[in-house]
Amino acid sequence: MSAIPAALATATALAATGALAGLGLPYRLRVAVVGVLTAGVGVAGGTAGVAALGGSRWRAVYSGLVPLAGAHVAVDALAGLFMAVAGAVLAAVAVYGIGYATGHGAHGLGSRTAQAVLPVFALSLVLVPVAAAVSTFLLLWELMALTSLFLVLAEHRGGHLPLGRSRERGSPSVRQAGTWYAVMTHLGLVLLLAGFALFAAQAGGETFATLRAGAHGIPPTVRGLVFVLVALAFTSKAGAVPLHAWLPRAHPEAPSPVSALMSAAMVNLGIYGLVRTGLDLLGGGPAWWWLGLLAMGGASAVYGILQAAMASDLKRLLAYSTSENMGLVLTGVGASGLFAAHGDKPLAALALAAALLHVVNHAAFKALLFCAAGSVLRATGLRDLDRLGGLRARMPVTAALFALAALGAVALPPGNGFISEWLLLQSLVHGLAVPGVAVAVVLPLSVALIALSTGIAAAVFVKALGVGFFARPRDERAAAAREAPPLMLAGMTLLAAGVVALALVPGLLGHGLDRAVGAVGLPGSGALTWGGLGVRLTDISARLEPLWVVAALTAAIVLATGLPRLYGRRRRRVNARLWDCGGGAPTPRMTYTATSFAEPLQRVFDDVLAPEQDVDVTPVRESAYLVERVRFQHRVPDRIEHRLYEPVLRALASTGRAARRLAGGSVHLYLGYGFAGLVVLLLALVVGW
Amino acid sequence: MGLLRKIRTTGRVAEPAPPRPEGQVQPSARQLGGSVQVRCVDAGSCNGCEIEIAAAFNPVYDAERYGARQVASPRHADVALVTGPVTRNMAAPLRRTVAAMGEPRLVVAVGDCAINCGEFAGGYGVEGAVADVVPVDLAVPGCPPEPEAIVAALRRVTGR
Ligand code: SF4
Repeated sequence: MSAIPAALATATALAATGALAGLGLPYRLRVAVVGVLTAGVGVAGGTAGVAALGGSRWRAVYSGLVPLAGAHVAVDALAGLFMAVAGAVLAAVAVYGIGYATGHGAHGLGSRTAQAVLPVFALSLVLVPVAAAVSTFLLLWELMALTSLFLVLAEHRGGHLPLGRSRERGSPSVRQAGTWYAVMTHLGLVLLLAGFALFAAQAGGETFATLRAGAHGIPPTVRGLVFVLVALAFTSKAGAVPLHAWLPRAHPEAPSPVSALMSAAMVNLGIYGLVRTGLDLLGGGPAWWWLGLLAMGGASAVYGILQAAMASDLKRLLAYSTSENMGLVLTGVGASGLFAAHGDKPLAALALAAALLHVVNHAAFKALLFCAAGSVLRATGLRDLDRLGGLRARMPVTAALFALAALGAVALPPGNGFISEWLLLQSLVHGLAVPGVAVAVVLPLSVALIALSTGIAAAVFVKALGVGFFARPRDERAAAAREAPPLMLAGMTLLAAGVVALALVPGLLGHGLDRAVGAVGLPGSGALTWGGLGVRLTDISARLEPLWVVAALTAAIVLATGLPRLYGRRRRRVNARLWDCGGGAPTPRMTYTATSFAEPLQRVFDDVLAPEQDVDVTPVRESAYLVERVRFQHRVPDRIEHRLYEPVLRALASTGRAARRLAGGSVHLYLGYGFAGLVVLLLALVVGW
Repeated sequence: MGLLRKIRTTGRVAEPAPPRPEGQVQPSARQLGGSVQVRCVDAGSCNGCEIEIAAAFNPVYDAERYGARQVASPRHADVALVTGPVTRNMAAPLRRTVAAMGEPRLVVAVGDCAINCGEFAGGYGVEGAVADVVPVDLAVPGCPPEPEAIVAALRRVTGR
């Protein structure tokens, strides 16, 4: 008897207790109790995941739980990986959430509904990978979507404001985000339902085992259709372009711990679904499936990070960066499928391992980034980078943790993101040996896109850190910021420990990752050896020892900063006034803002981003040459949203208006419709039979 | 191609170097070792002196062959080339500019206005001559001074 069922039962019990506690307890107790129970859900789920990564498996059927079909559950290493990630993120973020929701009144995240829903959302994050039948999976999937929708809407009555400030009236952007999220996630559900229904009908059963067994008997066109439907739904959940529109709206508007959970745990499940269905249940497929995924991944990576570069809202920036990272993961999954389709199993395993490792890395640093952004938001009430600044002195711990996570996100050594992107690039570069024209074109292109997105990511996080935390505050609210309470810092420190561990000793994950890759039928340990601290690729002569990289970098930094000091001490030092062009002292308004930092990049990518600019000059009444007021407006709209969604929405709206004319309000007309309908039906029956 | 032809047909336009100006090299300038970075400050001039300074650095008079070079910030400069009477609005910026320069630093007052307010003496907006605001090391008289005079003054700083 393995530890998995016990851990999962504990998680379920804790979540149920947490939901009841959230409903029943008074505000003062509620936040702490629910937080602890949610952390418990995370720990229990994570334990189950780690046990699965360690090699144990579990399957069961609870016939009474779900009507007709019964609940089928199974845990293998692939599910375990995603459970472990979700569990770890949950445990840390729940601790952070206690600090976040305490002392801010019983609204927003501290409200009764939000606190009752939070443990259920946590449980659904852990349980989605456990499902082993279509009905069970879809139920849990929908539970996750609904609970997260509740949580996104938690602050619909005005955002989080610093202590002592009156609450503004309702925030329309939260409601708008909620609408977008609700519609898109349910469109995704419809696609999933259609895809899985088709799959199950063709395979002759709805449990994953039957699907797996029956997949090869299905005609290729139907298989392709199933894959397209399911892949669209899952990539939308992962926030990949072009179905990402909900993500940059919902993630910034949700309370920050929820943003962290969504960005670090929920979007991952889109990847899980894709790997599970595409590589495992369908058992791989022809090259065009994976080329499509590669294209989507490349587009998401570059487009996501470009939009992040333009964003001046800190949380929106992070949300777009999630889109980018999921794009990188999709590239890995796509490459893996492509290599598998060409029969190169070891390379496919390497690409999938890189993608899964990037999921883990992204979860660690993105949760930390969102938590740090949340503590900035809580301390200042601001998300706008153009108004922040000077937080390094006022919130030193938060600033340091944000910097650490940003290092992971820029994918440069010694950050943790570097290791997975290095693996991904290795697999893509060596994939050129695989024959085929499409491969020869797409793989170098993917490598270039990854390189481009990595470069822009560096600019993005320099901007977020430099403009947001350094220099001088540009708003009195930023100037009055104070460090976050200890519980929030504790939660963030847990995440930071994860980031550091992943950056220094990724080898600890090695065997688990091998088993996860092995779970979809690829040779797990064939491509990678995790000798102690480093990563070595056996087929390809390449190795990476992150610990040495870190040691070398540290030594170089110490030398570069220490030597000039030693040498410079002999010179006389004069303190001079900051050069201000001879005018008055520079004001904070003169400092570099996020918008000005992004301006050169925006010029370079002018054709892609199509920014909108509006200059409005009002002259004084006496003369047209004397200017009284200049209004300058600048916006970088999400162009894909602009071009793709707005026509659809307009068409829908006009159809709705046209349909309204049919319902004129006259009872006679409605009776006429009924009669006409009946006649048409009868005629059809007569003719048809 | 046009540029190359221009170079070939124009040839050398610089005047032959005049003999080294008499007078001691400024003692504080010796540390500069013959390479001098110059920052111009217009403290309220009529722009006549600016035109002559521009001429001093053009290819004909070519002050750069003697080691003087114009820079865009006092942080990079050794010499401040100040023109015009110091107007009230420019008094503080002039002081700050000179204070922003590294040591050793020199101030060269260019033009009659800079030396004694010239045409503008007694004007309502005039604070005083350059020497009333910052210590002056060298003066170039003339209204405006000829480019040769400006070059000669700079050569006394560079020592070349
Ligand atoms: S010295 Fe003569 S040319 Fe120079 S600023 Fe004064 S008036 Fe103008």
